[in-house]
Amino acid sequence: MLETISLWLASTFSEDVAMWFDYFTNGKHLTWYASVRFTLIAAIAGAALAVLFGLIGASARRSVFPPFRWLGWGYITIVRGVPDVLIILFFPLAFEQAIEWIMAQRACTATELASGSWPPCADAQWYLSTTEYLVMACVSLGLVYGAFAANVVHGAMEAVPKAQLEAAKAYGFTRRQIFWRFHIRQMWIYALPGLSNAWMLLLKATSFLSLLQIADIVLWAERLGAPNFFARAGMVHPDWRWRYYFVLFLFYILMTILSEKFFAYLESRASRGMRLNTAPASS
Amino acid sequence: MTKIHLSAALAAALFSTTAIAADVRIATEGAYAPWNFMDDSGKVAGFEIELGNELCKRAGVECEWVVNEWDSIIPNLVAGNYDVIMAGMSVTDERMETISFGDQYYPADPSSFVASASADIDMSNPTGLKIGAQGATIQAAYLEANLAEGNDILSYESPDQSVADLAAGNIDILLADTSFLEPVVNGSGGALVFVGDKVAIGGGVAAGFRQGEDELVAKMNEALESVRADGTLSKLLIEFFEKDPWAEQ
Amino acid sequence: MSELFSAFLGSAFVNDIVIMAKPALFNIYFALASLPLGFPIAVGLALMKNSSSKILSGIARIYIYAFRGSPLFIQFFMFYSLLLAFNLSHWKPLGIDHIVMHPLFIGPLVLVLNTSAYVAEIFYGALRAVPHTELEAAKAMGMSRIQSFRSVVWPNMIRLAWPAYTNEMIFLFHATALVYFTLPVINEQKDLMNKAGELFERDYNVFLHFSVAGLYFLVISLFIFFLAGRVQKRLNRHLMPDVQEALTLKPNYLR
Repeated sequence: MLETISLWLASTFSEDVAMWFDYFTNGKHLTWYASVRFTLIAAIAGAALAVLFGLIGASARRSVFPPFRWLGWGYITIVRGVPDVLIILFFPLAFEQAIEWIMAQRACTATELASGSWPPCADAQWYLSTTEYLVMACVSLGLVYGAFAANVVHGAMEAVPKAQLEAAKAYGFTRRQIFWRFHIRQMWIYALPGLSNAWMLLLKATSFLSLLQIADIVLWAERLGAPNFFARAGMVHPDWRWRYYFVLFLFYILMTILSEKFFAYLESRASRGMRLNTAPASS
Repeated sequence: MTKIHLSAALAAALFSTTAIAADVRIATEGAYAPWNFMDDSGKVAGFEIELGNELCKRAGVECEWVVNEWDSIIPNLVAGNYDVIMAGMSVTDERMETISFGDQYYPADPSSFVASASADIDMSNPTGLKIGAQGATIQAAYLEANLAEGNDILSYESPDQSVADLAAGNIDILLADTSFLEPVVNGSGGALVFVGDKVAIGGGVAAGFRQGEDELVAKMNEALESVRADGTLSKLLIEFFEKDPWAEQ
Repeated sequence: MSELFSAFLGSAFVNDIVIMAKPALFNIYFALASLPLGFPIAVGLALMKNSSSKILSGIARIYIYAFRGSPLFIQFFMFYSLLLAFNLSHWKPLGIDHIVMHPLFIGPLVLVLNTSAYVAEIFYGALRAVPHTELEAAKAMGMSRIQSFRSVVWPNMIRLAWPAYTNEMIFLFHATALVYFTLPVINEQKDLMNKAGELFERDYNVFLHFSVAGLYFLVISLFIFFLAGRVQKRLNRHLMPDVQEALTLKPNYLR
């Protein structure tokens, strides 16, 4: 398929056009294009987890049980107080060591446990491949931006007019029904602008995947753009990195444009049948 | 229906990254030609990849290659994300404290300095220079100990970055393995040249293992011996480095 | 008791705090070098975006959108390799390559480009929120455009934007963690992330080293918050006490 196009380009235009076509469709470039799947999976799964953690965090903050409130507050404050990249690096390492520690308690002998080396014995070894790293990257992104979402959801729950809930009560709905069918249902309208903002931050944080040994678009851009002096490793060329990074720069801007369109659509859908006096507060 | 397709596609995309569990996982950097690099097909290639595959074949184990950045290549071996490192890694006493090495497949390779051909550098008394090396390498440690006084030492995450900065004149000289620099100098079309004397740092190059994995080390050593004995090692060395350093000794 | 105290002082935790004090200065430097430069550029961009000239507002819009719409991580990689590409042809002949290519210069440069876009958006929002009645009053009093900008638009803009600007200062400080992921390290010039990674690679104690680095970020963030709160009080001192909105410890999550 690619060869046919290449031949056609060579005969219709010039050998040069065909040469560049071959270059941009070689296995290395195709791997680069395909590696965008990691970015997209991390963004979508990370966002889903962020909404989940956000709802849990917001519920904890609104809990009548003080320790839950403190936990919710602590989670939100700590995550907000340190850089996202620190947590994204820390969580997978910490989680791996925690799992290995649990495994070690069962698998290793007392002398091995006391030896001070890590991990104490070979049976307490947890293999991490790209899949495990990707899952943990999604959880890290979910944890970081879940704190952002929790704050947004918390504010949005407060923003739902009390009159709406009172009216529901007057109609004889149970507390659970009021919570799910009125409070949560209406909360989304107020939360969407803030959630959209958190999504944009999360999307940009997907550029950190290469720090977790995932061969993502950033890693491949670096490898493709790096100067090559060794003919066996492909076309010999000087440093072309900024051109490849510029493509990533444009890629993320494009994703932002698409996300904005999507959230505008969601907002118009969520506010169907609602008459809001003021537009939801935006960033 | 579309929903099922979408989730199936997502699952396929996610799990396509996991190959069938191999017996032995070998980590490499994939950015250190001719030792290990990514070829045009996007797969790891190079001297160590061909050697490693041959070793696995002879040892009768199923091997899988893992690409890992250099600066975390030892921590991730120790953490158990793979079992072997074959990444042009020299044997040093410091590394021996955390990992163990197999038999050497490349003898001690002296390091060389490379500079731009147009620059006039006094290598007898280097001062006021920007000297580069890849971080966490024997060369970085050498510069730290010997040339830090009066010079700026720049450490880079990857060898590619250090070469790019040298070619662009951001560093005056770069210190790295001669075997890595030779193709760079040859391929630069005269823009880059070797300067000064070679310096002997570190031991030969060998595969790294987690400590205590004696069985695997013995198996790979045995395979290496057989590869050496029938001339395959020499053939591979000549193929990638255009010489057999063992024969020159 | 004193034994416990000396045991604490000799602990690995305190040791890490001491080791990371100098690296923390690098993060503080990057933030301090970027803030005062980012501020005027952001004001300029906000005024441009708000201007009636289609060309000026278009340029500002594109700039703000591009820098807010792409990751800082990519911006660092891109600008470093871009500046590098001009090293032999431009910086060297001018004799400024030692400055231009230095991480202590490129770090703040990229941070300024990035943060000025975010701050400009904040100021732009504040500009649009300046009460119309006050502007009309200024006009009725016969103030010139410059006079009304100085006495009405500017103070209102700063006051309205201040809480969001505080938030952005903290984001900027956190963004300094990315500098040395992309730039070469010169000698011992290492920041918190760098040092935490280096210490981790020695003993694999992720909980200790990353927690101490995190603690530094947390404490300095709180300090920025405290300082900004004092400024906020000053900005609002003319308002009636019940109108004054105290900057409470309620971290903002919008950027």
